[in-house]
This record gives sequence, C-alpha cells and structure tokens, in this order.
Amino acid sequence: MKNSFCRSPVLSVIATAILLLYANPAFAGVIKIGLMAPITGAFASEGQDMQKIVALMVEEINKAGGINGDSIELLVEDDGSTPRSAATAASRLVSKGVPAVIGTYGSAVTEASQDIYDEAGAVQIATGSTAIRLTAKGLKRFFRTCPRDDEQGRVAVTTLSKLEFKHVAILHDNSAYAKGLAEEAKKLIEEGKSASIVFYDALQPGELDYSAILTKIKGVKPDAIFFTGYYPEAGLLLRQMATMKWSVPMLGGDATNNYDLVKIAGQAAAKGYRFISPPMPTDIDSPAAKAFLAAYRAKYNSLPSSIWSVIAGDAFTVLVSAIKAKGTNPSAIAEYMHQGMPAVDGLTGKISFDDKGDRKGDLYRLYEINGKGEFILQKN
Amino acid sequence: MNLARYARYRYFPLCLGGVFFAIMASIPWLLNEAGAPGSGIAQLDMLNKIGIYALLALSLNIILGQTGLFHMGHTAFFAVGAYATAILNTMYQWPVFSTLPVAGLLAALFALLVAVPIIRLRGDYLLVVTIGIVEIVRICLTNNIFGITGGANGIFGIARPVIFGLAFSSPRQQYYLIWGFTGITVILFYLLEHSRFGRALNYIKQDELAAAGCGINVARYKLAAFCLGAFWAGMAGTLYAANIRSIEPTSFNFFESVIIFAIVILGGAGSITGVILGAFLLIGLQDVFRDFSSARMLIFGAAMIAMMVFRPQGLLPARRRHYGARRYLGKFPCAVRRQCGAAYNPYAEDEGDCV
Amino acid sequence: MEEFLQQLTNGLAVGGIYALLALGYTMVYGILRLINFAHGDLFTLGAYLGFTLLASLGLSGLASGLLAAGVLILLSMGLVAVAGFLLERVAYRPLRKSDRLSAVVSAMGASIFFQNALMLVYGAKSQVYPDGILPEASLILLGTEVPLTRFLMFAASLALMCLLYWFVNRTRVGAAIRAVAIDQDAARLMGIDVNRIISLVFLIGPALGGAAGVMIGLYYGQITHDMGFTFGLKAFIAAILGGIGNIPGAMLGGMLLGIIEALGAAYISIAWKDAIAFCVLILILIFRPTGLLGERVADKV
Repeated sequence: MKNSFCRSPVLSVIATAILLLYANPAFAGVIKIGLMAPITGAFASEGQDMQKIVALMVEEINKAGGINGDSIELLVEDDGSTPRSAATAASRLVSKGVPAVIGTYGSAVTEASQDIYDEAGAVQIATGSTAIRLTAKGLKRFFRTCPRDDEQGRVAVTTLSKLEFKHVAILHDNSAYAKGLAEEAKKLIEEGKSASIVFYDALQPGELDYSAILTKIKGVKPDAIFFTGYYPEAGLLLRQMATMKWSVPMLGGDATNNYDLVKIAGQAAAKGYRFISPPMPTDIDSPAAKAFLAAYRAKYNSLPSSIWSVIAGDAFTVLVSAIKAKGTNPSAIAEYMHQGMPAVDGLTGKISFDDKGDRKGDLYRLYEINGKGEFILQKN
Repeated sequence: MNLARYARYRYFPLCLGGVFFAIMASIPWLLNEAGAPGSGIAQLDMLNKIGIYALLALSLNIILGQTGLFHMGHTAFFAVGAYATAILNTMYQWPVFSTLPVAGLLAALFALLVAVPIIRLRGDYLLVVTIGIVEIVRICLTNNIFGITGGANGIFGIARPVIFGLAFSSPRQQYYLIWGFTGITVILFYLLEHSRFGRALNYIKQDELAAAGCGINVARYKLAAFCLGAFWAGMAGTLYAANIRSIEPTSFNFFESVIIFAIVILGGAGSITGVILGAFLLIGLQDVFRDFSSARMLIFGAAMIAMMVFRPQGLLPARRRHYGARRYLGKFPCAVRRQCGAAYNPYAEDEGDCV
Repeated sequence: MEEFLQQLTNGLAVGGIYALLALGYTMVYGILRLINFAHGDLFTLGAYLGFTLLASLGLSGLASGLLAAGVLILLSMGLVAVAGFLLERVAYRPLRKSDRLSAVVSAMGASIFFQNALMLVYGAKSQVYPDGILPEASLILLGTEVPLTRFLMFAASLALMCLLYWFVNRTRVGAAIRAVAIDQDAARLMGIDVNRIISLVFLIGPALGGAAGVMIGLYYGQITHDMGFTFGLKAFIAAILGGIGNIPGAMLGGMLLGIIEALGAAYISIAWKDAIAFCVLILILIFRPTGLLGERVADKV
C-alpha cells in the first residue's frame, strides 16, 4: 500500500495544491512597502545590501513611532537578477496590495516589472536602473533615485577631456548597463572630437583572466582606458595591469564604486584609479546621512559597500516623506512626488523629481583612489 | 486505491487529461472565489510561467524523451522564436498572433540548419554541441547580430496578443491563452506519440540499428524530431515574448536549457503527463521556496537530487505501449513475457554508445 | 611577434587551469559515463576552502610564501576530495544502475546546491585572497616577460597532470581504474572492488579541481561563488575537445582551448571569443566525432 502511494501522483498533486493555495494573509493597521531586489543571481551582493539598508531604515522609523502612528511592514521579493523572476516578484508584491515598491537594480529587470506595477496602480521607485528609456514611456507612477546613462556618459566624456586624454580605449562588458554607457561615451567623443577612440570592445564578466585583453589594449597604446563595467572586473584589470608592469590611467563608471575593488586589485594597483559616481554618504554633509552611517555601522559593523544600496535607501526616504504628507494612495503619492514635494534630504544629497520621474540635478562627481585605498572626492 | 491498475485502462490518459484541464480551466475562478489577494494574479503569473515551461518541455520531450537524442540546447530555439516575434512586432508592426507560425518556422529552419551536420553525433557529444549552440546564440544576441536584436538591452515594448479584437493583457487572459495552447499541444503530441511517426521515433530510441534495419531512415526521422521540437519551442517563444513583453539575451542562457532538460528527465522522459508534472514541480518549487529567501535555490538543488535519487526513472515514466498482445497469450509466449516485464530502461545498457 | 608570444603564454596559463579541471570531468566520465556537472562547483569549493584555511590558520605567516601556497593547495585538495567522495555517495551511487540522464540531472541539482551553499556561507560578494603570498618576480621566456607566479601555476598544473598520468598508467591501482573504465563487470570478476575504485576516482578528480581552485585564488585574488559555472563549462568543453574519457586528451583540450581563446581575443574579437571557441569545438566534432584523441569504437550491436 505504502509503495503504491509513493508511486502514485498523489504526492505530487498535494504538492501542487499547496503551491496553488499559497497566499499570505493580509495584516491590518500597517503600511506595506515592497522591496524588489536581486537577493539571488548575478547581482545578489547588491540586492542583499539593499535589503540590509532598507530593513535598517524601516526598523529606525518603526522605533521612532512609524509614519503618522502606523508602523511600516517591509515586504521583500527576490527578482533573481532576471526579468522573468522580476515579473513574478512584481505580481506577488502587487497581490499583497503594496501601494509603493522600491526597486530594482538592472534596467531590463525593472522593465519587466514596470507594466505590472503600472497596471496595478502602484508607485515604483527604481534604484539602479539607469537606462534612459525607462522614464521615456510616460508612466505616471514610475520614479528613480538613480541618475540616467546619458548624464553619466556626458560627465565621463567631460572628465576625460578635462584630464586631456587624447587616445582613449573604451572597454565594456556587454551588459545592458555597461554597453549603454560605453555607446553613449563613444557617441559623445566622436561628436565632440575631443579625443580619438583607439579601442572599443567588450570583455566577458566572470572570467578571471583578462591578460589577453590587456595585452591587446597595450598594443594600441592608449592614453587612458575608460571601463564601463562592474567593480570585480575593474579590480582584476587593475591587478593584472600591475602584474604586467603596465601603467595607464583608468577611469570607470559608477558600477565600480565599491570598496571591494581595492581588495581585489590590491592597494598599490588601485592607487590612482578614478571613477565617476553619485556622491557617497560619507561625503554628504547632512544630519540624515551622518545619522544613517552611524546606525549602519552600529548594526552591521561596516560601511555600505555599494552606492546602489544607498540609493535604495534614498528611495525609501522619499517614500516615507510622501506617505507622511499624502497617506497611502499611490496616485496621490505620485502626484506629490512629481510636484509639490520639497526637496528631501537623502543619503546622496537633495532629492526631487521632474515630470518624467527622473531625479533632478547633476549627481555625478569624480572620485580618485588614494594610496590607502580610500575613495577621495575630487573638487572640480 | 491503486492508480497503477487504473492507469492500464485504455481511456485513462483521456480521462486524466480531461480532469486536469478542467481543473486548470476553473483555477482563475477558484482563486477569485477563495479570495486570493489581487484575484490571484501572483498565482496566475506563476502558472503562466509554468505553462510556458511545460510547452518548452513538451517540445523537448519529442527530441529527448521520444527519440532519445541528448539535446541540451533547447533554449536556442526558444530564443529564435521569441526574438522573431519581438523583431516582427516592434520593427514591422506585425500583430503578435500572426508571428506565431513564423516564429515556429524560423526556429524549425534554424534547427534544420544546425542539426544537419551534427545529427550523426552520438550521446554526450551531441549534448555538448547543443550546449555550444545555446551559447553561440546567446553571444550572437548579445553582440547585436545583424543589428536587429538590440544587443544586451534586448527588445522591449512588445505588444499584447489580440485575436478578433480580444486583447490578452491581464494575467488571467494570458493564463487562458497559454494553457489553452498547452491543451492543444498535449492533444496533438498525444496523437503524434501514437502515430506511425511517433512509433518510429520510439523505435530509434530503443534500438537505432534495429530501426535502421527495419527500413526507418534514422537520420531523417531524427531531423524531423528536431525540427518539430524546435517549431514548438519557437511558438512557445512567441507566447513568452507576448507574456513578458521585454526580452533580453540573459533570459536564454545555458541554465534555462538545463532547467528544461531537467523537467523532462525528472518528470519522466517520453511521458506527456510526467513532463507537465515536472514543469509544475521544477518551476513551481522555485517560487514556493521563495519564503526561504536567499536559501531558496539551495533547497531547490537539494530537492532536485532527492527527486532523482528516489525516482531515478522520473516521477511518471513513460509506460510501455500495449498492443492488446494479451489476446495472443499462449500463442507467442515470449513476446508477452517481454512486454509485461519489469521496468525497462533504455539507457542502462548503452554505455558504449558514445565512446 | 612579441605580442603573439605574450598571448600564447596568456592562453597557456588559462589553459593549464582548464586542463586540470578537464581531468576531473574526464576521469569521472571514463569510469561512470557521467558528466559531473557539479565538478565546476567543487573547484569553487576548493577556492573558498583555501580562502578559509588561509584566514583561519594564518598560513600566510609561514616563512616562505611558496611553501605556504603548497601546503594550502594540499590541504584544500584533501578537503575537496572528501566533498567529492560524499557527493558520489549521496547523489550518484543510488543512480548507478538507472538511466544515465537521471544522474546528469542529479549532478545539476548538486551544482545548484553547492553554488548556493557557498553563497549562503560566504555571502554573495566576491571574496579576496590576501595579498603578497606569492613572490612578485618575473621570468624572461622566449623574449617575453612572464610573471613568475604565472609560470609556477602552469608548472604546478603540469606536474599534477603528469603525476596523474603516471598513477593511472604505471601503478596497480591505476590499472584497476583503467580496468573498471573498460568493463565494470569484467573488472569485478577479476577481483577488483569496483565501488572502491569509483570512490577513488571521486577523490582524485575533485582534488585536482580543488587544487585548481586554490591556484585561481592565489593568482587572481578574487573568487566568487558562481565562478565554477563558467570555468566548469569551459573545462567540460576542453575535455570533449580532447576526447572525453582520455587523460592526455583532457590536457591537450585544455591547453588548446586556452590558446584558442587568447588568440581569438587578440586577433578576431574579444566579444566573440567564446563563440569562436564553441565554433571550433563544433567543427572539430563534426570532422572527428570523438574528439581529438578519443578512440573510435565500433557501434554496439
């Protein structure tokens, strides 16, 4: 009997039934805020850091009495760093009735969730999706606290010409973000004729050995390398350049703003590396940023390692101030955020939005790594 | 209750299929009645995803389960279909539904092109070549081949499918579309399995040399199986593109192929019921384990091992075909004993087939 | 020409790692006809174990950096071998008599399991080996400058491969391994304990993978929980390229793949480099369906 039970599909049917009836009961008297972040997958380290920061901020607010007396419940869903999981994560958050969602990191991943939130009438604040097209669709409840690719491209090209590099090698990693930035920079350089592009190609992230690529770039003798990819590869490139005993200035995009870069490259090799990025909380002279850093250090005994998780914290700050003013009606929140909201003191500076939902103001600064592996903000 | 006994009954598959699709058809209504949050869109979304994987796995089943070709590159055909729909829809404004047969045909054509030179490879060598094809397709898509795939960004803004003025936009409508298509697929594939063509494929899987000896053109049948599977995967690509509305190359990586492959083997190679159950388990479990947060894939991996160890032949393996041989009992005793024999195992003895 | 030689050494260095990993695939395949998809993750496990050992035992404090590296590699090899042994017991042994593809799926499950276990234990962020264990000198070979560490890495993988080749071809146990690979039943009749031999193979293959993992950590510094996927896939392809089941084939395939990649990146395109490698693989298999050194065996009737 036992045997036939095991062999029959009964077990599987039960499993399926559990799977289908799976639903969370609703809680009353709390404000639900969704966080959709890459907890697993390629960008897991970013997503887990985002979760840490937003959870910490929720805890602080609840300790201080919540928003207008209501406490906040944070619902976290994993987008798995892929569009497909993001669609699922979004439907799950929507079905739990969240008025507003923070997230997510990758642009293509955000894109797969945009319609779902829009159709459900929820506010979405993206935190790392810099692709221009996301805010060009005219969605009324879509915002982002991160800047756009074109702004970064512009700042990068200005920086390159200010530093008077004449022969530039552009290297990206074929991810949507890095390629977008590389193409933007290439276009601007070619239009402005400020420099000549002597090399333009992509490396394959996740491979550890880039010496073949570096040997090839060395052959074209550039004045500088502009690398638009992420910090692990930037760290490895710097390290392997040092091993090759070849030194050429390297400039990176904001995805290299991560202290692990210095760990990977080693302090000696990382010295002199420049990157452009939104300002870090340590360089913002505001009480909010200082209090946040102190709380973060007290809880996790480290500094946030990436700028994108800090920008997720910014999204949360904005939401809190909007909910405080307008309650939990998504349309009211969105309208308030578009106009009427006074600039909010965030962890990366003042935050306000234009009518497309993009963050106002120039955010990018130039950083340089010093001999001790510290990121030093450069005065312009 | 001994299901295995009922399973011998001739109309069992028909009844099982009928009951299953009746339940599936009533699920949106049930979810609504049960008061699932947001009329159950999270559950429907998950079922939509399961449906698309079930379609992919059913199409792979023709190649892997019925013909016995070790094919781990099914995502390549899926990608061709999805990109065909996306490109035709966004660049040439074709309605999504009219791209369905084109996506299928393009995928089949692509399968034909790549399969002709490799069809004679055996076992694991075929496996690795098909893995190579997935990776090549992904790299081509990422590098914006012919300037039409949108590179790493992929293609976005794909329209919703519309038939006779009826738009399939909400998860619920998508659900009926996807599972309706799956239902038709199941019926067609069931008929195929029991056709002369299906029997020939099965013969090739059991014993290629004997099949050739019986006058079956092995290479041609294998190619046909490849193209048919690819055709269906291409159409699944259309449904996927219309469902998710923005596609990009990382959705079509090798890992997806692995998952589809695992669905077929874990559900029971060659068995339509098993493959659908496999899709429910492998895709559904990933979502059910979501509450374990970052540990969900760990548990998923362990579950994969456990399911294989406890059901090595798959959850619902293909049953041996019965041709009413019982009527001849006593006349051809050896034949009857063979067909009633213990669980058969097509791969157990073929250690030499790829060396 | 100098650039060509430089690229050749780049390719050989990566190829050495591929070859070392490919040996693990090939040995397991030779004996069980099983593609051990978890092999790449055992390699990652080795890298992480090396990292932990280095941090906890303070091996970097040893007088000579090279000695520390050697001890580290041996210790990690031992630990990864145990993991490989357990993997075979839990995930593969129960499936030995069943469908070969079942074991493949089980191996995929194991791969997902290991990768995520490492992520849970060490976090999703990459970990970084401490600096300055290996000397920073460099050698002049054929007129090009090669970092000493790179040369040592290559030499160490070559030494391990030769050791393995000697072990399999010149010792009694090696003969038993070959016997089991040819015919398990006959080997059993000759008094060979087949289970023990299979366990042994699952100790040796993963140990080589673990060694490769530590070498990667020492040389490149950075290790991530998902690096086994990329390296595993490449090494598997190298094994097929050389003719799977064949030990010199795995070495040849690994080196060849490394060189194809480096030269493809240098003279064609970096972005298309992997596609080039796969195309070469497919072409080779079309013209030599059993890989470069694979033996042709008549179809079983």
